Amino acid sequence: MIKIENLHKSYKMGSNSLHVLKGINFSVEEGELVAIMGSSGSGKSTLLNILGMLDGLDEGSYVLDGVPIKDLNETKAANYRNKFLGFIFQSFNLINYKNAMENVALPLYYQKVGRKERQEKALKYLEQVGLKEWATHLPSELSGGQKQRVAIARAMAAEPKVLLADEPTGALDSKTSYEVMDLIQKINDEGNTILVVTHEPDIADMCKRIVHLKDGVIVEDKKVKQVRASEHV
Amino acid sequence: MFDRDIWQEIFYSIRNNKLRTFLTGFSVGWGIFILVMLLASVNGMTNGFYSQFNDDATNSIFIRPGTTSKAYAGFEKDRRIQLRNSDVEYIKKSFPKDYEHISARMFRGTSARYKAETGSYSVQAVHPDHQIIEKTIVTKGRYINMNDIATGAKVAVIGRKVSEDLFKDDDPIGKFVEFNDLPFRVIGVFTDEGDDNAERGIYAPVTTYQKIYGNTDEIDGIALTYNSSYDLTKSLEFSGRLENILKRRHSVAPEDQSGIRIWNYAEAFSDISSFTTVLRVIGIFVGILILIAGIVGIGNIMVFIIKERTKEIGIRKALGAVPGQIIKLVLLESVFITALSGFIGLLIATGILALVGPSIQSPAFTNPSVSPSIVITATIILVVAGMIAGLIPAMKAANIKPIVALRDDK
Repeated sequence: MIKIENLHKSYKMGSNSLHVLKGINFSVEEGELVAIMGSSGSGKSTLLNILGMLDGLDEGSYVLDGVPIKDLNETKAANYRNKFLGFIFQSFNLINYKNAMENVALPLYYQKVGRKERQEKALKYLEQVGLKEWATHLPSELSGGQKQRVAIARAMAAEPKVLLADEPTGALDSKTSYEVMDLIQKINDEGNTILVVTHEPDIADMCKRIVHLKDGVIVEDKKVKQVRASEHV
Repeated sequence: MFDRDIWQEIFYSIRNNKLRTFLTGFSVGWGIFILVMLLASVNGMTNGFYSQFNDDATNSIFIRPGTTSKAYAGFEKDRRIQLRNSDVEYIKKSFPKDYEHISARMFRGTSARYKAETGSYSVQAVHPDHQIIEKTIVTKGRYINMNDIATGAKVAVIGRKVSEDLFKDDDPIGKFVEFNDLPFRVIGVFTDEGDDNAERGIYAPVTTYQKIYGNTDEIDGIALTYNSSYDLTKSLEFSGRLENILKRRHSVAPEDQSGIRIWNYAEAFSDISSFTTVLRVIGIFVGILILIAGIVGIGNIMVFIIKERTKEIGIRKALGAVPGQIIKLVLLESVFITALSGFIGLLIATGILALVGPSIQSPAFTNPSVSPSIVITATIILVVAGMIAGLIPAMKAANIKPIVALRDDK
């Protein structure tokens, strides 16, 4: 599903250049649930941004679902993001003046899905995350866990090839964290490929594979026995 | 453009930022309001100027004889030039295509008496065409006709003031009034748009007066209107030819300005036209400057809106919005606010003008109003202004990097 070879990325900080990713080789199969771990500054967020086409790469190759991702202009990147990827953010990033259903329907709007179908689909995904009756509520009327579940529904709505989650539980307490992870696991059980960036070991343990990043290189890449989040709820 | 979702976004954004939208719109609405008011004021001044002159037909030429200032063709200087009936016939024959109406004029003072009332007035002895040249409005009875000219009838058309002075409440039509002890029958009463003074005048057939004053063929002047399809150049060219031919006929030196005087209204009119054109240009210029201030204001606020919505735009881009869609959203919002608020300014301005305009009738300022073409132009300006105001912020928005926007945690 994802194949990365010899990925390099550096940022210019004034006259200095900061080499963040120093040759990453990494691939993900369909249906995997991968945790990307590392301390802050290890390059895990940069890697996720490149995977999410939010940022470009300097060197190396990136193939997503058989499509080589290179020479992206803004429009092309936007179309790929819309088609291939669903994002889940630490700070939820819901649009605050749109209600839950409208937020979920937004990626479908950019897929040019008709209005009615959009609403039906949005309701379907809200139901999947257990928030159907909250459809008409604004984000400000939802709790943190509920917001993240709406965000997950939104990421799912476009039916992407890969879900990218950047510290999805970073802003939640541990009980809510486990609820969200439970949801992510269930989505993964249905065959969806999910990448989770986290620095919390207990969250990483709920994935099927852990990739450790340190100073811009992968120091460890191991399959683990998945801890079901539902056991903690 | 007619995408329901985009409009929903715009209304969301407006509803959630009422004050901001109001302030934005106000600057543009105000700009348009002032632009329209300025143009209307220029129109009012123009109308005022024209109404001062509209007293006479605007295509009229007046010929008056004078005294030569140069010796020429064997004549000494200081010779009085005398126009005659033959001059009128001569002009008619020489310029059949150029003139529309022509009338001789004699000016005489008279003391008039009706029963016990007397007064002194000026009499103009004229041809029937004079009514059109002077735009005389006959309110009662009739004007002088060809029959009066042919028979030299002692008839008179008197001004409204004359009628009031002599006849009080009586109907003057058909009554006899004595001019210098000669009885004249009143055939009509006229008013004049020009002023009250003109209404203290009396018109009589030119032939009648020539008979009274020694059976002469002398006249004091000629008034005529030229072909109304002539533009300024053609009319000036015509009055030039007229001058040449009359000077030759009366042996006046071609460069002698005082022998025969020709007064062409078009000249005065062209001065006024260029004056009002300058006024209009100044009006448009100032109005556009004010509008630019409004546009800069909108641009400014749009930049602010974009700044505020950076994160939202980042989210949209992460979800797959292409730059074109972002530009469309920002541009449409700015055009919508500009057009709507500008339109309100336009409506208020035209509303005030429609209410107040017609009642303003001072000599220098009459009926300030705007033409539909100004309204249409203003509307187009508004939409374009909205586009310009939104363009830079929209480009800025489209260039927002989603990664930067999302990192921007507030």
